[in-house]
Amino acid sequence: MNRRIVNTLFSSVSNLGLWLCTACLLFLLGAIVWQGANAVSLEFLLSPARDFGKSGGILFQILGSLLLVIVAALLVLPVAVGTAIFRQSYIKSRAAKDALDMVLYALNAIPSVTYGIFGLIFFVNILGTGLSWFVGSIILAVMMLPTVTLASHSAMQSLSLHYAENAAALGFTRGETVLRVILPQSSHGIVTGLLIALARAIGETAPIMFIATAFSGVGLPRSLFEPVATLPTHILALAQQSTDPQALANAWGASLMLVIFVTLLSSLAFFARNKLNKLSQRS
Amino acid sequence: MNKLARPTFANNATRPRTRRDGIHGIAFFSAIASCAIICLIILTLFVQSAPALTQAGDSLLSTRWNPAEGVYGIIPMVFGSIFVMLIAISIALPLGLLAAIAISRIKHKTLKRVTKSALEILAGIPSIVYGLIGVAYVSLWVAGLFDLQSGRIILTAGLILAVMILPTFLSLAEDAISSVPKAYYENASALGLYPYETQLSVILPAAAPAIMSAALLALGRALGETMAVMLVIGSLDRLPSPLFNPLSSGQTITSKLGREIGESAFGSTHFSALILMSFILVMITIALTIASRRIFKSAKTS
Repeated sequence: MNRRIVNTLFSSVSNLGLWLCTACLLFLLGAIVWQGANAVSLEFLLSPARDFGKSGGILFQILGSLLLVIVAALLVLPVAVGTAIFRQSYIKSRAAKDALDMVLYALNAIPSVTYGIFGLIFFVNILGTGLSWFVGSIILAVMMLPTVTLASHSAMQSLSLHYAENAAALGFTRGETVLRVILPQSSHGIVTGLLIALARAIGETAPIMFIATAFSGVGLPRSLFEPVATLPTHILALAQQSTDPQALANAWGASLMLVIFVTLLSSLAFFARNKLNKLSQRS
Repeated sequence: MNKLARPTFANNATRPRTRRDGIHGIAFFSAIASCAIICLIILTLFVQSAPALTQAGDSLLSTRWNPAEGVYGIIPMVFGSIFVMLIAISIALPLGLLAAIAISRIKHKTLKRVTKSALEILAGIPSIVYGLIGVAYVSLWVAGLFDLQSGRIILTAGLILAVMILPTFLSLAEDAISSVPKAYYENASALGLYPYETQLSVILPAAAPAIMSAALLALGRALGETMAVMLVIGSLDRLPSPLFNPLSSGQTITSKLGREIGESAFGSTHFSALILMSFILVMITIALTIASRRIFKSAKTS
């Protein structure tokens, strides 16, 4: 029958689509792991780059990337949680809530390269900071803001009304309710959001390449206003000399480390959501 | 149920004692900071793009970009962005939709979840790594396939971009399909429809607004993607000839910004013309995201 044939055809075509996507995934992961594993060794991880990254390792790139994102996380945490609390507990009008949502979605929509350009204009040129890892952290923190805020807020929103009722019955002020009830109960959302945002931030190149990084001859910064080396910008510089096999090999090594960091943070986010969810429901 | 029995966090919970405390101050300050940041970004871009509008004037609409002659035509970059985006979504949307339908058909719950989260790994790979794969593999394949000297062309950028936006779209489309009520399936099969008829004429129309919203989001991401595109597009500031020739090198707004911001002097017309492009890009991506949000919300309430 005709319809039966069409049915089989359609389901095979859609399965083919799924297989094609899976093939993409396997190829990408395979390429990264295979090429990366050839380049990564303990010495590669623990020695500084030499000859413009062509030889030596990626020690300072790893440390620089971690420094940038950890400071960014510390900067964004209070602002994101504060904004989420304000959205949840203090705004009364519908219109103000919608406006704040709009701001967060707009921040999420801004292309990452634009954040870099904003940082270049506002911090590096107008405020005259020069190339500075700390400015890079600030810009990454701004990029992380919508993710962390939305995740925290959706955890707060999903709290049962009983919590509010009980807090009110105990005579808590609004501030006490926030501190003792809402924050502890939504901690899983905050931690998850922060880890997801970290996983994205550590892989970002465009926001930091104009403002926070230098390619060669950079160690650990001794002040707030010095550039660092990072994994993504290191890969960028090496990818542009892709005709040199040694540079390309080191780019793959750095890529593998970067993907490992991203995967680690994403899986931590996954576990944090499950684990903290259970803990906060129990207490 | 009367109003007193249903207090909410926002309104009634602390009615007896509504004094402003420290928490309120911190929360208020944070929210103001969030709003101030976006205003500051848009304002900064706008102010910095003004010199280009006054000094470069009409030449902005030309098809030539030559800082040495003071000609800053942004048309090639705008066209490049749109062209690359069109290639990417014409691959990613059909493929993502088919895969989403295939995933929604998987009966085994764990298998379904594993498949979906595995594909979401694709979204986590940093864009610079996609760029490296483009440089090391895809551009070489494309060059071999079409017998070109260099594979750094618009088509390569479109292909890489398609894979980059695929996971986000796929995941959201699958959510949309899965959230169609069970009763739709039951009624369709009671009417004797084949699965493909159910999927095409019942499920997809029901999920259409949410899928549309996901597509707009993917579109915005495609326009804003920088690093991967920059590495594989070939950086040629001219319109391809013939116009829709995907085998020509090109330039998108983002790749132009990535390449040239560092070389242009702050305060020059050159710099300002670049910022103008960035301003246009930001306005488009914000509009797309807000439109996507609107459609998603109206789909949810209806």
